[in-house]
Amino acid sequence: MARLTSLEEFLSFQEQVRNNRERDLPCLVICAGTGGQAAGSNDIIRIVKRHILERGLQEKLKLRITGCQGFCELNPFIIVEPGRNLYPWVKMEDVGRVIDAALQGMVLEDLLFRESEHYPCQHCKDDIQFFKKQKRLILGKNELVDPIRIFDYIQEGGYTALADVLEKNDPEWIIDEIKRSGLRGRGGAGFPTGRKWELARAAGDGTGRKFIICNADEGDPGAYMDRGLLEGNPHAVLEGMMIAGLAIGAAEGIIYVRNEYPLAIKHATIAIRQARDLGILGKNILDTGFDFDLEIVRGAGAFVCGEETALIRSIEGKTGEPKQRPPYPVQKGLWGRPTCINNVETLCNVPLIINEGADVYSRIGLPGNSGTKIFSLVGKVKNTGLVEVPMGTTIKEIVFEIGGGSIGKAAVKAVQTGGPSGGCIPTAMFDLPIDYESLARAGSIMGSGGMIVMDENTCMVDIAKYYMNFLKSESCGKCYTCRKGTQRLYELLDDITAGRGTLQHLDLLKELAEVVADTTMCGLGQTAPNPVLSTLRYFHEEYIEHIVDKKCRAGVCKDLVGAPCQAACPIGTEAWRYVAHIARGEYEEAYKAIREENPFPSVCARVCDHKCEEKCRLGQSGDHPVAIRALKRFVADNVDPSVYQPRRAVEKKSAKVAVIGAGPGGLTAAHYLSLMGYPVTVFEKDSKPGGMLFSCIPEYRLPREILNKEIEALLDENVTLMCGHTFGVDFTINSLFEEGYQAVFIALGAQKGRKLELEGEDAAGAFPAVEFLKAYNQNGEQLARGRVGVIGGGNSAVDAARTALRQRGVGEVTIFYRRTREEMPAFEEEIEAALEEGIRLETLVTPVRINTADGNITGVEFQRNRLGEMDSSGRRRPLPIEGSDFKQSLDTLIIAISEQPDVNSFTQDPADAIEVTQWNTLKVDEHTLACSRPGVFAGGDVVTGPNTVVDAIAAGKKAAVMIDRYVRGEELRQVRQPRLPKVYIEPCATGEEGPTKRVKPPCNVYEKGGDELVEVEQTLSEEDARREALRCLRCDLEFTAPEENGSDSVQTGAAITVEAAR
Amino acid sequence: MITFTINGLKASAERGTTILEAARFLGFPIPTLCHMEGLTPYGACRLCIVEIGEGENAKLVTSCTYPVEEGLKVRTASRRVVRARKMILELLLASSPQSKTIQDLAAAHDVRQQRFRQEYEDCILCGLCVRMCKEQMVAGAIGFRGRGEDRSVGTPFDIKSEKCRLCGGCIYVCPVCQLRCTYTEPEKAICGGCANLSPPCIEKDRFNDIMCYMDPCVACEIKENEE
Repeated sequence: MARLTSLEEFLSFQEQVRNNRERDLPCLVICAGTGGQAAGSNDIIRIVKRHILERGLQEKLKLRITGCQGFCELNPFIIVEPGRNLYPWVKMEDVGRVIDAALQGMVLEDLLFRESEHYPCQHCKDDIQFFKKQKRLILGKNELVDPIRIFDYIQEGGYTALADVLEKNDPEWIIDEIKRSGLRGRGGAGFPTGRKWELARAAGDGTGRKFIICNADEGDPGAYMDRGLLEGNPHAVLEGMMIAGLAIGAAEGIIYVRNEYPLAIKHATIAIRQARDLGILGKNILDTGFDFDLEIVRGAGAFVCGEETALIRSIEGKTGEPKQRPPYPVQKGLWGRPTCINNVETLCNVPLIINEGADVYSRIGLPGNSGTKIFSLVGKVKNTGLVEVPMGTTIKEIVFEIGGGSIGKAAVKAVQTGGPSGGCIPTAMFDLPIDYESLARAGSIMGSGGMIVMDENTCMVDIAKYYMNFLKSESCGKCYTCRKGTQRLYELLDDITAGRGTLQHLDLLKELAEVVADTTMCGLGQTAPNPVLSTLRYFHEEYIEHIVDKKCRAGVCKDLVGAPCQAACPIGTEAWRYVAHIARGEYEEAYKAIREENPFPSVCARVCDHKCEEKCRLGQSGDHPVAIRALKRFVADNVDPSVYQPRRAVEKKSAKVAVIGAGPGGLTAAHYLSLMGYPVTVFEKDSKPGGMLFSCIPEYRLPREILNKEIEALLDENVTLMCGHTFGVDFTINSLFEEGYQAVFIALGAQKGRKLELEGEDAAGAFPAVEFLKAYNQNGEQLARGRVGVIGGGNSAVDAARTALRQRGVGEVTIFYRRTREEMPAFEEEIEAALEEGIRLETLVTPVRINTADGNITGVEFQRNRLGEMDSSGRRRPLPIEGSDFKQSLDTLIIAISEQPDVNSFTQDPADAIEVTQWNTLKVDEHTLACSRPGVFAGGDVVTGPNTVVDAIAAGKKAAVMIDRYVRGEELRQVRQPRLPKVYIEPCATGEEGPTKRVKPPCNVYEKGGDELVEVEQTLSEEDARREALRCLRCDLEFTAPEENGSDSVQTGAAITVEAAR
Repeated sequence: MITFTINGLKASAERGTTILEAARFLGFPIPTLCHMEGLTPYGACRLCIVEIGEGENAKLVTSCTYPVEEGLKVRTASRRVVRARKMILELLLASSPQSKTIQDLAAAHDVRQQRFRQEYEDCILCGLCVRMCKEQMVAGAIGFRGRGEDRSVGTPFDIKSEKCRLCGGCIYVCPVCQLRCTYTEPEKAICGGCANLSPPCIEKDRFNDIMCYMDPCVACEIKENEE
């Protein structure tokens, strides 16, 4: 490379480079940043090169290897220019096809990016949701530039700004320009860059050395935008530093970069060498008399060295610990000389401002917060990567629109901005525009721009503890409050997560956190308490839950949770225990473990919503969760229930208890009260007990023989069942008390279908789903005929659709749902089974009119929706598309949008009234289930609205305990103790076969005209069941495994087997 | 000369004087543990914090390192300062209850309990010994090692330093290992028997007209808050 010796030479050279570009050739762009290389892009690059060489494509196809482009989720990917088609997750075997398509100017639709499985493919990269909403002024260059080629940078207009300021040679003008642009430090504190340069320029006696330092010591967990820039476009950093050098009068620059960024160091080193060779760096640059040279100093990886005074000491070769300011580095910095320290991203903004002009730049973003900011969006979010948005963009836009929302089913709960010393901002505040001041007001910081998304499976106390653990080891230890304060904060948080916390802990935590923030020396300590303070502020109830209820709702804090499957189960079934027994072939033991907590094992084995599987650690660590429900089914189907004999109280009690409603909740309460010796009368409106189990769950999911057997087993001599007795007609609460009942449990369920509120809803041929299912299940009435439409997306909609399909005279069945399939609340396996049976699914439609003729349904008019902004549940709200209406002729319409309890009978007579909520449910104390009237308890759907079977059972169990306490005059509410695994079950030796996949139970697919009652899902085979059970990670062993020296504090598995044999 | 106010009192000092020096010269007490005349100010113990600035810009700084500035307004015992200082003393007590120096300071600041898990550490990393060794004894035999909770004072690799002349200067300046509190049960040794310097106006209302060197006075602040 010939050294350029004057400005004119540089300009003509630049012209020459720019004219040389071959834009018309197709070009493959591959990201080989750190993220790309980790995902295997080096292999892809190798294959592409081999194709080019072997097929002689050098003149027909270009290849550009770039640094990080931001969308790290998709790595390794190839972008094909000129169409900018993006092929994510490219496999080596697909490279050939991609090259062929690129040469022919075609696209491969099967490989193109899709927002989601059921979405159409996106042709151009810019149409992808992730990129569409961004403003990539700085990051966008990474795609166009090969970081090790200075020509690429010059071709894209690089060093124009430098040439410009060299020509002007007016430092005051540069500083003025930067000041007018409103650029503020991107490292976190947001100090105005122009002001800093001005101070640095004014500092010193005008003779000695000055320094400009680029701070690339990015140490926040989950943040990598500085790495992305230094790796992907190092010349921009160099150019920014040179301009800064000229502005403040510094001839020496230092890039302080962590040693953990080898690729960034390599690219920066190459860039410096190339710039020197070209004459852009060094003595008398381009004959303007400006001397400037750069060196790289590698940091040894102390988090605190990102703090400017510590960074300076580190460069000087001393221990990296901060010094009390003043004096500030701009007055007395490196080697005692004026030193200006700027962040990588700040410096990258400088050439942009010079090129575009301060006025243009200052109009981007908000006044006082101009320009764009790069965030590294990571955590529980669909699209992880580097995101560049104008200042003032809301968190919601970043997390939901660019990030695509939550990664799994769990809703997003909070975002942590600014790295370990940032704060956690809850979903309720996601409308917050991101700028330095708003974040500070919300108790967080901009930091360098880390943005960690957390969902409901994240425990906020644990998060605070995690960061405190990080900070207590990364604090330099010089000042006492930071060192000891972070240690003590950690200690307090550890106590809380371990269940040792008291409410005094909370006060002390807050007090200490505030003092630490107030009294420490540097930024690290001053912001260190942010995670504690912000979680205390926004997630106070989680702290209280940990302390008072000894409960961690996210299932993280292991001393409170025990095994997550057990903690997730509303009735506390020891899922780990029966799974372990199944793995050992001890099926009777497994049955006992299930039955101990659950009076309806066979029912739950079929219809439970398996919350245990949602929280299964195997599922949360990337694999599929253990198929716990299918395993329960295997046990329930293969073991004789008589192996379990419940413990009964010896003495009979005299107090009579009434239970209203013979559904799962009511029957459970009756059963447990009966075991305690209470005589119980269960009143049921229908002719048979079972409630929703019997009237709404279709027989193909829950065979009646099995249901009846299970119910009969619960009706013992203490339980009197009174069918055909309707509450409010045949008896009232008052009449029950008059008859001598001492307590009443109301478990009426939610049986009133909610309406669409459209005209014609009551026409013949239109039914609420509950009514439709009841008619069929109770009386065998087949109400559906012809073309059937079901409106709704929950389990009752799918049940109704599948039941309708099984009726005579039914042609076609379609489910209409207003959102997309991903958002349907029905179980995924049910939806799949329905589709397999031939039911159509029409999504993103809302009914707007019901057409009738002579009082009969003839059809429904729908309007199509598109997905709009996220709502509070984190789901994208459906918005109607004007003029998209279409008519659907239907003979039967089933409305399955929701159900609600019928609470009229509770409010009619003031002398007999029970308080009702605004949602038409009964008002109870959530801890005791007590209603507004003493002696009356309520649980299940009548309290919660439509809910699951297992929640109803849980309510029944709780009601039994509470009623017992009430009758005996005890305090109802008691302190909850965490239930940790206690029984040790020796794990089986696993073979060498390696990991297995989650088992899928065999199914009978229903075909039209076949036996409509045949159960669809079948039992697992013994071999499958044992193999599936072996997949369990056995979280219980952490609590039960005997110590090496043979501690006898835990019961051993062997002892149980002996007991069982007796 | 630079003019500034300290607790409402107009004062002036030479450029380069620290707030601590100025305050002590003027007779305002500020507690310190890591400060010693003749050694470089270090700012580690944070006890000498004072409040400067006003309104939203008010902040706490260590007076031992902060030079007086023209027009600076210093409060050496505002509510914010006292609150923080008490918490620091509580932390110190929780970790090194055996130090009589710390016990006396705690008693003087009316710290009557500590609410953390009791530890017994012989070092608060104030760095007096390190600076003594280096700056006064010109030996530099000891220094800091590690960071965060692993930070400690010692020689490299725990090998006896050849530069050490066993002068004992390090032990002489140590606020923790010197003058152990002799109370029988160390964790309860917050007796306050050795010193009690809390201003009388805190307890007794009728001292309204007492000449108070504090602006605002803690007691007055508390009283205002209660009203």
